[in-house]
Amino acid sequence: MAALPRRIIKETQRLMQEPVPGISAVPDDSNARYFHVIVTGPEDSPFEGGLFKLELFLPEDYPMSAPKVRFITKIYHPNIDRLGRICLDILKDKWSPALQIRTVLLSIQALLSAPNPDDPLANDVAELWKVNESEAIRNAKEWTRRYAMDN
Amino acid sequence: MATSQGNDSDMDCSDNEDCYDDYNDYYNDDNSDGEQLDMSKTDPEYFDYKCLSEEEVERLLNETVESLSNRLFISPSLAKVLLHSHEWNSNEVICKYKENPQQTLIAAKIDPPTPSKSIIVTSTYLSCPVCITTLNIDKFIKLNCTHMFCKDCWTTHFEVQIAQGISTAISCMAKDCVVLAPEDFVLKHLQHKTSIREKYQHFTFRDYVKSHPELRFCPGPNCSVIICSREIKAKRVVCDKCNTGFCFKCGCDYHAPTDCQVIKKWLTKCADDSETANYISAHTKDCPKCHICIEKNGGCNHMQCSNCKHDFCWMCLGDWKSHGSEYYECSRYRENPNIAHESAHAQAREALKKYLHYYERWENHSKSLKLEEQTLEKLRTRINKKVMSGLGTWIDWQYLFTAANLLAKCRYTLQYTYPFAYYMDTGPRKELFEYQQAQLEAEIENLSWKVERAETTDRGDLENQMDIAEKRRTTLLKDFLDV
Ligand SMILES: [Zn+2]
Ligand SMILES: [Zn+2]
Ligand SMILES: [Zn+2]
Ligand SMILES: [Zn+2]
Ligand SMILES: [Zn+2]
Ligand SMILES: [Zn+2]
Repeated sequence: MAALPRRIIKETQRLMQEPVPGISAVPDDSNARYFHVIVTGPEDSPFEGGLFKLELFLPEDYPMSAPKVRFITKIYHPNIDRLGRICLDILKDKWSPALQIRTVLLSIQALLSAPNPDDPLANDVAELWKVNESEAIRNAKEWTRRYAMDN
Repeated sequence: MATSQGNDSDMDCSDNEDCYDDYNDYYNDDNSDGEQLDMSKTDPEYFDYKCLSEEEVERLLNETVESLSNRLFISPSLAKVLLHSHEWNSNEVICKYKENPQQTLIAAKIDPPTPSKSIIVTSTYLSCPVCITTLNIDKFIKLNCTHMFCKDCWTTHFEVQIAQGISTAISCMAKDCVVLAPEDFVLKHLQHKTSIREKYQHFTFRDYVKSHPELRFCPGPNCSVIICSREIKAKRVVCDKCNTGFCFKCGCDYHAPTDCQVIKKWLTKCADDSETANYISAHTKDCPKCHICIEKNGGCNHMQCSNCKHDFCWMCLGDWKSHGSEYYECSRYRENPNIAHESAHAQAREALKKYLHYYERWENHSKSLKLEEQTLEKLRTRINKKVMSGLGTWIDWQYLFTAANLLAKCRYTLQYTYPFAYYMDTGPRKELFEYQQAQLEAEIENLSWKVERAETTDRGDLENQMDIAEKRRTTLLKDFLDV
């Protein structure tokens, strides 16, 4: 494997030394471009109390290309589909090489606090979120309890 | 030649001698104008266009770039960005630039929206925000914004963007910065990377052609021809290299008399409702008189039962005799005049019935076109045999191919009259349209009947029928082709 770019080494060091509150990102023992991520469900959101596992992978041309991020824990959210793929502008066309792993994780945390059903990835979830928000929130809490709280 | 500049540009440039037109010479080279005017009067489908090679278009674009760059004393690279963001309308760029150069450069994303404060760099070393490497200041470069990055990062950024097919839209690396990287800036960072440079130039060319309203890539498979016309109209153009025909305005299959939006709506509807309409694709129907099963293997919709010789219509199963008359009703859909007072359920059923009526005819003519193509193939084989055995020459039989080609052209138009009628509002104009459509349809089926029986049809009779069918087609297009 090619030597790890200075940029990735620096970012990893900083993530370990000054972790983002509510988020842990640990590089894999055998692959420094692969991160095991755990995001705590934000307070006052339907995901509160849940621990959500994600995987984050830095592609060969990172930071020119965005990291690839996916939820592993099942989650009921209008911008996250059944495969755990995330609809987030900075992971797609709004990516800038000046952004970092840290900013990506903060954006994902913010997405959990403020779901956006007008830019949906999971259509049925987004639909319910729009027509019956309280039922959608109930579903989200139920999924959090069932999939994100296993001791 | 009368310049049409005044009516298609919303900029008031008429009294400005700056706004000259550098295309005129290009288009004016060999056509005599008198002839063009006449053609467009007699043929509603007449369209003046040219098929150009990539090299010719490159030259054309470069001439525009060159003259703008000389006019405004700007680099060709900047001229390209300005033209690209103004649909290659030089006049508009000149007017805007002379009026307010700052605003023009901001709108074209050459300059940042808020003027960048000049940052005073005191140290000789800087840390690049992308690669986190500390380097001498001379290793850094920026666009017209304030965002400095090291040269190596710019190079990698361009390589990654180009690999994704992005070219004219490559922007600064800073978050939320919209400033674009012009061609000279990009190429400067790809100095020894020939294949990436070529890719980049290929992609920018593609973007330029796509943003140019007077140019269209031929949609034919693996065809590199670019069609060029001064007028942007929904008219038929045919590529002279691969023979693909399409609508110049929208680039899809030609669709007169229906316009670009309506045909799009219709095709989407057909795709959405494909399941409902599926049962229609029957190749066999029962004779309405003796009920023997009849297979349709020709394009003509005037059927004759092989068993009882009854003449009937494949579409509506009605007696063919009634189809020749002025009161021909097969193509028209009779709406229930009291439908507004019926239940929602009945209205939905009526809407479906109406759609299926038009869809069925649209689909049937499309099938007929294919079947008539097969008829033509068989005819070709038969005539080949005749010529080989001394029965006439190729020239003697040529009129039959002309007839078959004309039939295809007429039926194609007829097929596209159905979506047109479907979306038409009820009223006298629709009545006139349906009358003309019915007349056209009757003459086309007569022509098809005669082409299928080519060798036994009198040549004069056939040519007469060709003339009638084409006249009906042109009349309908003259009255309703609104482009
Ligand atoms: Zn910038
Ligand atoms: Zn750098
Ligand atoms: Zn072509
Ligand atoms: Zn069109
Ligand atoms: Zn019969
Ligand atoms: Zn009929």
